[in-house]
Amino acid sequence: MTAHWFTYCFQEALASLGRQRVSVLLSVLTIGAALLVLGGFLLVAVNLDRAVSTWSAAAEFSVYLDDDVSPEQRVALNTLLSSHPAVASREYVSKADAVVRFKRDFPDLAAGLADMPNNPLPASIEVRLNPAKADGVTLEAFARQLMETAGVADVRFDRRWLERLGQIAAGVRWAGWILGAVLLIASVLTVATVVRLALHARRDEVDIMQLMGAPIGLLRGPLVVEGILQGGAGALAALGALYAAYALVSGRVLALLGPAFDAASFGFLPARLSALVVLVGMAVGCAGGYLAARHVR
Amino acid sequence: MYGRGIYALRDVSLVVEKGEFVFLTGPSGAGKSTLLRLLLRQELATEGSVKVAGRDLAKLTPSQAQSYRRAVGFVFQDFKLIPSKTVLDNVGIVPRVLGATSVQQQRRTFQVLKWLGLQHRMNAYPLELSGGEQQRVAIARALVNEPALILADEPTGNLDPDLSLEIMNLFRDINSRGTTVLVATHNRELMRHVGRRSITLDHGHLVETA
Repeated sequence: MTAHWFTYCFQEALASLGRQRVSVLLSVLTIGAALLVLGGFLLVAVNLDRAVSTWSAAAEFSVYLDDDVSPEQRVALNTLLSSHPAVASREYVSKADAVVRFKRDFPDLAAGLADMPNNPLPASIEVRLNPAKADGVTLEAFARQLMETAGVADVRFDRRWLERLGQIAAGVRWAGWILGAVLLIASVLTVATVVRLALHARRDEVDIMQLMGAPIGLLRGPLVVEGILQGGAGALAALGALYAAYALVSGRVLALLGPAFDAASFGFLPARLSALVVLVGMAVGCAGGYLAARHVR
Repeated sequence: MYGRGIYALRDVSLVVEKGEFVFLTGPSGAGKSTLLRLLLRQELATEGSVKVAGRDLAKLTPSQAQSYRRAVGFVFQDFKLIPSKTVLDNVGIVPRVLGATSVQQQRRTFQVLKWLGLQHRMNAYPLELSGGEQQRVAIARALVNEPALILADEPTGNLDPDLSLEIMNLFRDINSRGTTVLVATHNRELMRHVGRRSITLDHGHLVETA
């Protein structure tokens, strides 16, 4: 294959696209819609992943102590915590400190707490984790070990719901791929139909080229390139629409989530995934173009 | 053979020597075009064999068939020019796209166009040309690869008598340079004018060689 070959295929494909603008536009919009769905799911999944990652970095154990914990038990517990590699730091929160925090975080409920004869809030040790060494299995085992330690009433472990959130992100991603795949198959057929229309429009030309001894690859090439261009254009349209939607709703979503979500970790699809969307679009177009080109024999 | 026992050609056995000029003649439906299509490998014989320069055309792979076609010049009655391409592209697009962009190839294209009096029409489109000019472009396309064999199917069928004579003289010139020429026509006056061997077909049978 030569540069002339590619130039010829590209020029013929562009000319063909220009000849049938309306059907090409429909094809590009179909691919765009399919990739918009896929991209939308990916965008949600990516941001869920980012949230999980951010929250994982800030994940902590809350080790609640029995009211009657002895000083020896506290020393043993501190020794256990300080010796574990996943523990980055720890802070003791006394029963009195717990009341102060409760009143600060839930001012509406503070009056109810004041009416109680005794302070019902337990003392606790808040353990901040080292994300690099805090894998799920290790932490599960460590949480069980803490639960079995004398003087410990309960262990609250943020990682569990973070893992669930991670699973939700994976589910969203898979749902996107499956739904996207179904729509992309429909797109392949749309591209194939549009390219076949183009083939019919220039059937005489193809026949003449064939009689002149043009290799099959030269006859099929422009049709495949035409599909690739349609797919690429559809993917770019999808990314454009997705970015516009992201720009429109991101502010509202962040306001809805409030301080629970770090605005800095919220963002559009990374360049790698955006490139993947474009590549998927071009692959879809290529498949459609090839399906149509197979009719040239 | 077409379906249901209908033969387009039957019991046709003929040899055309290298460098020969042969007319194929006969009434419409005699099988002239079918014979040429077999020689261009547009169709494959259901029985027997078609050999060109010792090669059995039925045994060519699709890729070899395309390569073979590039080595054969073919001229059609309806010219079969690509309307969206200029004269220059119509004549030389396949070799050029295949990488034959050498100065030699360009010179060859220009030489052929000049020889056929088309050098001033290189950038024109087929629909801007007269019928005679279009047929000359088709002949230029057939000649540009310097084929050893030229097949022409009713090349003067759409032209007036003067232009027909002019085109036939061109074929005679081409043949005088050593190219084998096979022309299907039912114009007996032109055949008499050129005065070469003629093979007559009728209902798919070879009926006369003169």
